[in-house]
Amino acid sequence: MTPLNTALFVLIAPLASAALITLFLGRRGEIASAVSVITAALVACGAFSLAFGGARFNAAWEWLRFGSFAVSIGFKFDDLAALMLSVVGVIGLCVHVYSLGYMSDDAGKARYFGGLSIFMFSMIGIVLADNLFMMFIFWDLVGFSSYFLINHWRERKSASDAAKKAFVVNRVGDFGFLLGIILCYRVNGTVSLSALGADHAVYSRLVPLLLFCGAVGKSAQLPLQVWLPDAMEGPTPVSALIHAATMVAAGIYMLCRINVLMVPQAQDVIAWVGTLTSLYAALCAVTQRDIKKVLAYSTLSQLGYMVAAFGMGSVGAAMFHLTTHAFFKALLFLGAGSVILGCHHEQDIFRMGGLRGRMPVTFWTFTVAVAAIVGLPGLAGFFSKDAILVLAFESNRAVFAVLAFTAILTAFYMLRLWKIVFLGAPQGEPARHAHEGSISLTAPLVLLAALSAVGGYWRAYPKAFEGVFSQIPEAEGATHVIVLVTSIIVLAVGAGTALAFYAVDGRDTLEGKSRSVFGLLVALRTSFDTAYDYYVAEVQQRTAMVLNFLDVVGLAGIVVRGLAGATEFVGFGVRALHTGRLNNYVYWFLGGVVVLWAYAAGIL
Amino acid sequence: MKPSLDAYVMLSAALFAIGFLGVLVRRNTLVIYMCLELMLVAATLALVAFSRFNGTEDGDVFVFFILTVAAAEVAVGLAIIVALFRARRTVEVDRLDSMRH
Repeated sequence: MTPLNTALFVLIAPLASAALITLFLGRRGEIASAVSVITAALVACGAFSLAFGGARFNAAWEWLRFGSFAVSIGFKFDDLAALMLSVVGVIGLCVHVYSLGYMSDDAGKARYFGGLSIFMFSMIGIVLADNLFMMFIFWDLVGFSSYFLINHWRERKSASDAAKKAFVVNRVGDFGFLLGIILCYRVNGTVSLSALGADHAVYSRLVPLLLFCGAVGKSAQLPLQVWLPDAMEGPTPVSALIHAATMVAAGIYMLCRINVLMVPQAQDVIAWVGTLTSLYAALCAVTQRDIKKVLAYSTLSQLGYMVAAFGMGSVGAAMFHLTTHAFFKALLFLGAGSVILGCHHEQDIFRMGGLRGRMPVTFWTFTVAVAAIVGLPGLAGFFSKDAILVLAFESNRAVFAVLAFTAILTAFYMLRLWKIVFLGAPQGEPARHAHEGSISLTAPLVLLAALSAVGGYWRAYPKAFEGVFSQIPEAEGATHVIVLVTSIIVLAVGAGTALAFYAVDGRDTLEGKSRSVFGLLVALRTSFDTAYDYYVAEVQQRTAMVLNFLDVVGLAGIVVRGLAGATEFVGFGVRALHTGRLNNYVYWFLGGVVVLWAYAAGIL
Repeated sequence: MKPSLDAYVMLSAALFAIGFLGVLVRRNTLVIYMCLELMLVAATLALVAFSRFNGTEDGDVFVFFILTVAAAEVAVGLAIIVALFRARRTVEVDRLDSMRH
């Protein structure tokens, strides 16, 4: 197959799988899951053959034409797309295989696997898109797919609420994205990613910021981060997919795609949004009791790192962290899923404990992931986080300070999670009877653990991703030493504090001892939801009521009902004349004759 | 003694009034139909009388047309009434009110 055909196959195969499952296999969960997993494997193979085959191409076909404006669909396959496609392929395959075990006795299995396939299709569309309109179409498909999968257990109200929230919050960001695309077309005269260029006219500085709105929604940056923790209502493998390779990664990837449009002012905003998100999410994660929500906030925090790295001008650092993060975050979520399944759907970490002996594979792989995310030297997260810290140290010391502090918090809440879940004594009945899952659960964990361990040695990667990784900032001399020492110190401080603080089993020491700090952090976490609740319930609802009143009275009552009401009134009167009796009609005829006679006689 | 024009017109008016009253008050479609014919005949009578007293042929020509058309009308009208009776088993206008609102 030519590379172009392979790309087409990689894009269409998941769609075909989803269509097949939806149309014919709705009640055949086993066959549906097999179809979906085989498709994911084929997609992963196709992605690798494309990425490592060395072919890089651009291809576009015109799709719609309105006057001088044409919408085309096409592929832009460069090193960036190759890297992202490989990540999506690997993580997608792991999640599919894992889902075989995780969802084995779920009633809606076929629907679930159909959803996974459509999710893969949407994400691959974003990766391959060669223009912003095509990207926007798949962008919204990703939004739809995540809605569909978060809502998988739709009989639970919390799940359907979370899905709606994710969808609506994303729409807010998407609106900015769409405006950005339109303005981009206005400024550049094209939306093709290959033909874009930065324009320094005043209003065209808005273009990157408006496009960034899309990334704020999808990658859950401040202030649109509220949907991500709630999205934990979906099945755990879906969370892994959303957090590692598809949904939230799409925002970062899109930013890297439109890198040429960036102007310094926009980049400053982006860097600070990322930095603040990173700090905010890390603070929120500290008080969480739900294993998945801790991970959700940690994703937010790491996404903040990526956005900050991008804002400071390095696509390489952002994509590098995205790649390593995809490995260890997928691993963390799949490990958490394994724990949840082992503990019979217990998600409160303070009712777990002592799982080390009962779930050895999960424990060791989870340990690798935790070590990777906190940046233990030698593991994947260390290198990518180091790259971002070097970048920050060289370009913006304030950002550097905040990110370093965030790293302390990261080490703190991850070690807290790890300690409480796996060490100590079991705290609940489910934890005492926990057991390791089947091979389809553990195999992806082992694969991802291997990737998390070695994923940071980017020089060992094949040349295929040279275009991206050559942009990773490298420190020399004093900077190198300072950053290295800083990251080791923050790791030691964070980890040490966590282990010392949570030495006693089964209790949230922070909540017990420092009630004021704990309360403050909880208030911080809920502040956005409270503010949005207030806005939606009070401001928006009141405005809507006033407008509704005006509509009912003014428009519907007077303008619309005015015409209709008059017609109806006349109709009501005239209807009484229509008796269906011949004699009545003759009387009317007589009346008519009299009137005509009177008129002819000049009386009227 | 030869009757005056007034007498003819009075007779014609009386016939027309009887016909119209019949259409108004009677319930049987067939009777209503006969009353209608009566009104037509009243008009014809008036035309013939005017023609005779004016010494022209205008009214007579009208009458020929009316007779022809009335013959055709009777054929159609009676056919409709027969068909109506077959369909509804009645020709009472009180019961033929399916066109009511």
